[in-house]
Amino acid sequence: MSDDTFDLFGDDEVGGTDAGWDDTDEVEDLDPEPESVDRAPKVWSVYQVNKAVKGLLDSSVEPLWVGGEIGSWTRSRPGHCYFTLKDDRAQIGGVMFAGDSAKLPADPDVGTKVRVYGDLTIYEQRGQFQVIAQKLEAEGADGLWSKAFEALKQKLELEGLLRIERKRPLPAYPGCIGVVTSPTGAALHDITSVLRRRAPWTRVVLSGSRVQGEGASADVAAALRRLAATGLADVIIVGRGGGSLEDLWAFNEEPVARAIAECPVPVISAVGHEVDVTISDLVADVRAPTPSAAAETVVPDGPALLGHLRRSPERLGRALRRTAARPGVEVAERMGRLHRAIERRLVPARQSLDLGADRLERGTNDLIRVRTTTLQGLAGRLEALSPLSTLARGYSVARTTDGRVLRTVEDFSPGTPFQLRVSGGTIDAEALSTHNNDDAPA
Amino acid sequence: MSDEAIDPTLEGRLSRLEEILARMESDDVELEEALKLFEEGVSHVRAAEKVLSETELKVEELLASGETRDIAVDGE
Repeated sequence: MSDDTFDLFGDDEVGGTDAGWDDTDEVEDLDPEPESVDRAPKVWSVYQVNKAVKGLLDSSVEPLWVGGEIGSWTRSRPGHCYFTLKDDRAQIGGVMFAGDSAKLPADPDVGTKVRVYGDLTIYEQRGQFQVIAQKLEAEGADGLWSKAFEALKQKLELEGLLRIERKRPLPAYPGCIGVVTSPTGAALHDITSVLRRRAPWTRVVLSGSRVQGEGASADVAAALRRLAATGLADVIIVGRGGGSLEDLWAFNEEPVARAIAECPVPVISAVGHEVDVTISDLVADVRAPTPSAAAETVVPDGPALLGHLRRSPERLGRALRRTAARPGVEVAERMGRLHRAIERRLVPARQSLDLGADRLERGTNDLIRVRTTTLQGLAGRLEALSPLSTLARGYSVARTTDGRVLRTVEDFSPGTPFQLRVSGGTIDAEALSTHNNDDAPA
Repeated sequence: MSDEAIDPTLEGRLSRLEEILARMESDDVELEEALKLFEEGVSHVRAAEKVLSETELKVEELLASGETRDIAVDGE
């Protein structure tokens, strides 16, 4: 304590750690004055030497990038990673602590060319020179990201989660669309803009989530499960707008993949821009290149759907007329029923027309104008089905004088008086004789 | 075939309308049935058009409680 030198063999304090040492002095003492011949050589304890060199390195070398090939790599249970980095002439040990290694998409393989960024230091207890890596990047396109992507893809593939037979069709006309994304991101805005234009009658339920940063994948997965559990959505869009590979990474992680695979309703994955393909795209029922495209895919085009509806009454009417005109269908029956059916339909259709006119006055938008036209068309087609037009085509109804409809040949006998309803009026008549289709005259 | 069993959502009505069209355009449909289907079909057309006339997109946010709350997302 009082002296900077020790007796190598006699002093119990040798190997004692802090004796007389003061951090700032240590460094200077590394280059001691030449020993005078009459003094015993100055002897440092091992610890003192290591500590001194460590101090020197720590204080004089800035963090730097070191490039090399991974010679070995071990990840401990708490997540600290120990590795060696080498080139053809030398090697250096390194450690990456759990907080930093958690940010690695995957552990590098032995032989992978990498660069690490960190501080050079000495591990005092072992006198080991090493680099404390804060970052590690593998060489090649996307490096470790691509390794992690392929590893998870393979795992999910083996479980059958990427199989084409698992893909469910999207509902054609969803009433409620679920969206899992950031409440403040561009994706939500893009999606709602498209839906507002194409299918404003739909309901959108957002389950907000962080979409990047640590834990984002678990966050997205939880938001998706929460939304699915409500049973509200007929289909769910999961995604976010474009960003760097790192920004999109949550969608390449297992929690999102699992939640999508388990979702009870079809899922559309829409992550980033066209070129970005993520694990969530592969697991989802449908992959959309962008959030806007997902919205386009998920709903029908409003005007096209109205066109389809517009054609439907015409098709229904045509089918009905064909059935009614089929041989063997009794004229009187189809007259009465058609008349009642059509009257019942025309009244509400006209009411709708009035409603349509009101809306038109409010001048809301084109959609409504299309709709009014549709209803006008519908009413016109219904008129075409009127029994009067059937009469005009040459059919007639026979009734007894008290109004009972005469349907079959058995209802007549020679001499029966009856009334014939034809286009434009009625005719009083009397049966002369009757003939069954297959029989000779009675 | 009965009217009451029909799913009243847009999807339900439109898919039922497809069924009706297919059935009515088949050759073995009886007049009695065709008339009923015609009426039903027209009612689905009308109901579906009513749904489509909704012009205000409704956007809600799912809350932690499992309930939803209307939110405004900027239109273009």
